[in-house]
Amino acid sequence: MKTLLRWTLMAAAVALLAWGCSKEKPETDPSPKTAEQPADSTLNLDALIADTLSADSLARLEAERLEAERARLEEMINRIMLEDVYFDYDRSDLTENAKRLLAQVAEILVNENRFMVTVEGHTDARGTEDYNISLGARRSTVVRDFLIAYGVDGNRLASVSYGKERPKVQGADEAAYSKNRRAHFRVSIVGVEP
Amino acid sequence: MTNNYTVVQIEVMMNKIKLLFVFMAMALVAPAFAAIDTIAVDVGISVFQTMPIGVVPFEEEGKIKWTTEAPHQILTRDANLSGRFEAVPSEQFDLVLFSKKRARQYVTGTATKLPNGKIKLDCYLYAAETKDLLLGESYTVKPYDVRQAVHSFFDKVVYRLFGERGVASTKLAYVSKIDGIKQVMISDYDGFSRRQITRDSSISMMPVWQKGNKGLVYVSFRKQRPNLYSITFGGKETPLFTQYKQTFSPAVNPKTGELLFSVTEGAKTEIYRGDLKTGTSQKFLHLKSNQVSPSWSPFASEVLFTSDRGGSPQVYAVGKDGTDVRRITFMGHYNERASWSPEGDRIVYTSMDDGKMNIYTCALDGTDIVQLTSNAGNNEHPSWSPDGKLIAFASDRGGNYQIYIMRKDGSGVTRITNGSENTSPTWSWFFDEKKAK
Repeated sequence: MKTLLRWTLMAAAVALLAWGCSKEKPETDPSPKTAEQPADSTLNLDALIADTLSADSLARLEAERLEAERARLEEMINRIMLEDVYFDYDRSDLTENAKRLLAQVAEILVNENRFMVTVEGHTDARGTEDYNISLGARRSTVVRDFLIAYGVDGNRLASVSYGKERPKVQGADEAAYSKNRRAHFRVSIVGVEP
Repeated sequence: MTNNYTVVQIEVMMNKIKLLFVFMAMALVAPAFAAIDTIAVDVGISVFQTMPIGVVPFEEEGKIKWTTEAPHQILTRDANLSGRFEAVPSEQFDLVLFSKKRARQYVTGTATKLPNGKIKLDCYLYAAETKDLLLGESYTVKPYDVRQAVHSFFDKVVYRLFGERGVASTKLAYVSKIDGIKQVMISDYDGFSRRQITRDSSISMMPVWQKGNKGLVYVSFRKQRPNLYSITFGGKETPLFTQYKQTFSPAVNPKTGELLFSVTEGAKTEIYRGDLKTGTSQKFLHLKSNQVSPSWSPFASEVLFTSDRGGSPQVYAVGKDGTDVRRITFMGHYNERASWSPEGDRIVYTSMDDGKMNIYTCALDGTDIVQLTSNAGNNEHPSWSPDGKLIAFASDRGGNYQIYIMRKDGSGVTRITNGSENTSPTWSWFFDEKKAK
């Protein structure tokens, strides 16, 4: 019901705007006096709707702008969250591939300072729960340290270990293990709860 | 070192030979075993001298519908799980059978259905030859509490015949995957009377029993990181040691109830000690290495833990004041989660070789290594029964992870859970006698 009303108001506003524009054209022609009379009569009406008009279109523009911004951020977040940093078995040092990927992520984070990032450290299924939490912690910290060294503000970076609790791929072979030995990024925007 | 290695090799060889025999035996009598959920694969060399004990069904007055099993079935299971007895079941008193099987005592009783719906159980332990009454106990319970009463009687039988406390009335805490989420559960030691303790939308894990079995300490990911919580069985839940971001690997001091646990700050994981009630804590070990999985000795004078100070996770021991660190395990590249036998003489731990985890025990100085599990998937998270006779552990030998109980020598492996994945068993302490009543 409310939206219907809004649409009706908007339609009316657009119609009036169009009418106002068409009114303005004759004003440019050399007979201003004749044009003054009808303009005068619509002046009150114009003034009346002017507030609604500008506020409404501004809101629309703002919404449009936010939407575009949101889509842009979302795309960036997706890019960060889609890529995981992979590790070798029982290791927490960064491979060359990992460093290349992290440099890209760091680039985004340096330029977009509203992002808060949690680096999750994960392990494959081999070994005990306890040891794997400590291994995951080492992995998440190595990644966080790399990003800080690149210039990302450490206050925007948290690290957490999930050990072997959240495998990305199920399975008990190297294909699954290698996908699960990873650091994963969780991104939120400052002031917005994830 | 070479010596240890040879010992283990021989153990493994013997295990393999034993297994071969078991498989041959299974092949011969396979259909007979089909309905039994006990895994008839023994590994390790049995050092147990079990005492045969006759079990005769109870006389029933009034038609009784047992909620799980009849009392004699519960007693048979208790006897065979105990690591002390071997049940000799018989439909009635049979002196010939009992003599032949060397069962010098037998248990039986009467069960009466009372008008108020309760069941009266009169349980007896007799000497087989003389029919002398050695022990008599009477319980009047709701049908649901029959198991508890029979377990309680069985523990009295153990005490009467061995002068030691049995574990039939103890419980296990463990982790069950329910709708894909790990939740903390408790059950009787034999897997019956399951009860779900946590109902979170995030992971709950690593449950251990508080002193006096008043509640559990466990790890929850509800804040999207591992944190310790305490929960009483009344349902009261408290976050613990919130001054640290990531806490896990809890271990309860059997004497004081104090907690040892792992704290992760940045890349480093270290062991802290803390008081559950006051929330105060301090660093326990001042080492450069990472440390996880602390475990107290039975009289809380020593602590076992895992450290990667040698480049791979290995088990170390240290005094309760945090000094005098010494290495226990040397064989292999991954020895973790050690725990000290309640009898004080052995250490059980998980070792990983070629990606497979198995359970081993060794003497307190790391010598005399015995492999308890082999050729049966992954076997991990060993936990001693409070009498030190049994070890509960998790294994994926049957396809998915389930909880098993075995004797401390690796024999008598019995699965006690089924269904969706069950892991991380931790045995309770003995229950207070007065409370048991």
